[in-house]
Amino acid sequence: MSNVIRFQFTKGPEVRFLSHLDMVRTLERAVRRARLPIAYSEGFTPRPIMSYSYALPVGVLSEAEYGDFGFALALDPEAFMTAYNEQLPEGFRVLRAEELAEDAPALQSTINAARWKVVLPDQDVAQEIKARWEELQGLDSFVVRRETKKGSREIDVRPFLFQVEGIVHDSTGTCFECLCGLGNEANLRMDELGALLGFSHLEALITRIGQFRRVGNSYFPPLGSRDSL
Amino acid sequence: MDKRLIPLLPLVSKPARYTNHELHAKHKNWTDVAVKVALAFPDIYDVGMGHLGFKILYALINGRKDALAERVYAPWVDMQTQMEEASIPLTALESGQELGAFDLVGFTLQHELSYTNILKMLDLAQIPRRSSQRSQKMPLIMAGGPSAFNVEPLADFLDFVVLGEGEEVIHEILDLVIDSQAQNLEKDELLQKLAGLDGIYVPSYYQPIYSADGRFQRIEPLRQGIPPKIEKRVVQDFNRLPYPEEFVVPYVEVIHDRVIAEVMRGCTRGCRFCQAGMVYRPLRERDPEVLKEQIARLVENTGYEEISLSSLSSGDYSQIGPLVRDLMAEYQGCGVSVSLPSLRLDSFGIGLAQEIQKGRKTGLTFAPEAGTQRLRNVINKNVTDEDLKEVVQGAFAAGWSRIKLYFMIGLPTETEEDLEGIVDLAYKVLAWGKEARSAKRRPEVSVSVASFVPKPHTPFQWMGQDSMKTLRAKQRFLKERLNDRAIQFSYPRVEESFLEAVFARGDRRLAEVLERAVDLGCQFDSWTDCFRFERWEQAFRDTGIDPHLYAGRTRDVLEPLPWEHLSAGIDGRFLRREWELAKTGTPTLDCRWDDCTGCGVCPELQVANVLVKEKSSE
Repeated sequence: MSNVIRFQFTKGPEVRFLSHLDMVRTLERAVRRARLPIAYSEGFTPRPIMSYSYALPVGVLSEAEYGDFGFALALDPEAFMTAYNEQLPEGFRVLRAEELAEDAPALQSTINAARWKVVLPDQDVAQEIKARWEELQGLDSFVVRRETKKGSREIDVRPFLFQVEGIVHDSTGTCFECLCGLGNEANLRMDELGALLGFSHLEALITRIGQFRRVGNSYFPPLGSRDSL
Repeated sequence: MDKRLIPLLPLVSKPARYTNHELHAKHKNWTDVAVKVALAFPDIYDVGMGHLGFKILYALINGRKDALAERVYAPWVDMQTQMEEASIPLTALESGQELGAFDLVGFTLQHELSYTNILKMLDLAQIPRRSSQRSQKMPLIMAGGPSAFNVEPLADFLDFVVLGEGEEVIHEILDLVIDSQAQNLEKDELLQKLAGLDGIYVPSYYQPIYSADGRFQRIEPLRQGIPPKIEKRVVQDFNRLPYPEEFVVPYVEVIHDRVIAEVMRGCTRGCRFCQAGMVYRPLRERDPEVLKEQIARLVENTGYEEISLSSLSSGDYSQIGPLVRDLMAEYQGCGVSVSLPSLRLDSFGIGLAQEIQKGRKTGLTFAPEAGTQRLRNVINKNVTDEDLKEVVQGAFAAGWSRIKLYFMIGLPTETEEDLEGIVDLAYKVLAWGKEARSAKRRPEVSVSVASFVPKPHTPFQWMGQDSMKTLRAKQRFLKERLNDRAIQFSYPRVEESFLEAVFARGDRRLAEVLERAVDLGCQFDSWTDCFRFERWEQAFRDTGIDPHLYAGRTRDVLEPLPWEHLSAGIDGRFLRREWELAKTGTPTLDCRWDDCTGCGVCPELQVANVLVKEKSSE
């Protein structure tokens, strides 16, 4: 086997405002506290072998973050989970862990889509969101201006929104779920999702509830059941 | 944290500064304790979280059953705007309670440019600035730290001030506060009792007297039984002091984000410009075995990847070599590195640096402070040109390619020759770098030149600071000459050093200026982006106070000084003697290896230097 453990973890309300780098540092320190035999890269400045799924936007919660940790020896995934959870700060929690096969592809290359749960607290806009999604389904393109470090450019984000469902209004506000593109090729940002559906992402409570490899209309998570969604 | 802040978090930079829930943050139940302390750092989280003093106090106070301590930092400007718009007052991180709900709010005074932040934080907390305006129910505002040794510009804002080391007196303070609650004492009765503790200064019990021409004459106790002079506190046994077993581990990147071991307290090198070297005496080294235990516990509890051996000059610690080697052997295998914040300017220092930086060799920093041997003798920085040559050549030969040099301009007796000395030294270092064939990369020299600020309780406390005009001319002189592409020249703005000099040797009349400056929007003065000198100029104009009299005037050695009642144990005669020796360029040796210099600290405070013994060679 590979000595690599892939695991799914949460990023809860206590730590939702951590940046990706803050999270990386925090998870590394927890590995050291748990005395887990992490493996180090070769070279001038050895780094622990730890990699993650695509960075979560600051402020967004998650029930489905993924990590791959390389160890110096084979670890029992259950034992890893117990030891690591003991040292993780509030808000981070490993939900499941498996040892990775030797030839398994890298984490990020197995992900190109995400499912997001959006809550608009104290807002009653279920009808508006429904109508907007109806309208979008009839549109081939929806162009927004995307600001990046290299400048800004126009981009058609309509193809990156696959599905909107479960639009309801309840005591907490308006809720719905979205399946969107994620990663380097077809990435939909939260502000762009807001622009598509007509809500302010800064006022929304957003949770990443799944990450997948999308093949046609099937969605495969990086861990666990190989069945599609 | 304060739940009201949550909707603001998506709107501000680095929101995790405000969210709390870090590992080892202490959330005590407010109803279970008698006394509640807010440790207030007058700068943002990213700076304050690195402060060792507050880590120690946080552990000590929270270690008591009857007390709790929580952390408060200045919110960054964007967050302040959001809080003010939403009418949310400043609250403590852990409980989200407003500062006004605490019994004690303690500020640390690390440097003069943080003073406006103290007033700003009181404003944000909706607590009146002046102690005379605060009601019975308001918390007592206290302060400590190095700048407490001239706290006079802040005297009107603080209820009481702690001079010296806090580890023992904090318990005495908490006990008195608890007693006063049990006895239902008035605030003034409690302050009266606090004033009876050694090392505690209650500014409102004293009144300064100024002469007709506006000079400070003396300060008088206003009540019976109030000591005319307050001596600083020094702990009984540095080795046996409790040390935190855990540090709060921040999520966002902060300064000094690592295990900090305090290897030593105090410094006896006697650099004449250095306030820390005077006010933290005597010198005490911590036993290496004690240090190793403290470090092991902290590494285990924090998971930090770096251990820093901290003190005013860790390279001088008697057992530094063996300690570093033992720590490297213990931790290298588990991805934990060892660092030294200050290196000695000799071959021993280079050897040590080489051992620590096994991998990539980044920059090395040295502080010759002055450009000529003559001027280094004046300031008692006992480093020779030969030392410097040896150490820099050694560094290049060992593979370092970037050398950083720290200097000061505006030192006493400085001439053009001394400025040329800085230039010469920079080019010499560059030339040594080019000679060293083993350096893989092109040598780079960076020269950082600060403007000298005369500080209280140092032999230069009488000296007038160079005018801003003179300092700018000196900066220009250097800039014109340090124009090689391989030399990077940097210098802080003279306005910042000027303001620091005003407040370092200020008196109570500056309180008005501080208030006016904060009203005009001054805060975060040590952040170049936030520093607005024109607002300060207006504050001085509006209050009719001439800052130049504080910064630029050379005092007579017999002139009374506004901080003489705040004693660090240093004998005034020693300072005067050192000032005379400085003018003749005569060095004074280090009392840890040579004769007693008569600084007065040991007899005055009944203490002594403590050095750790050599390990027996068996």
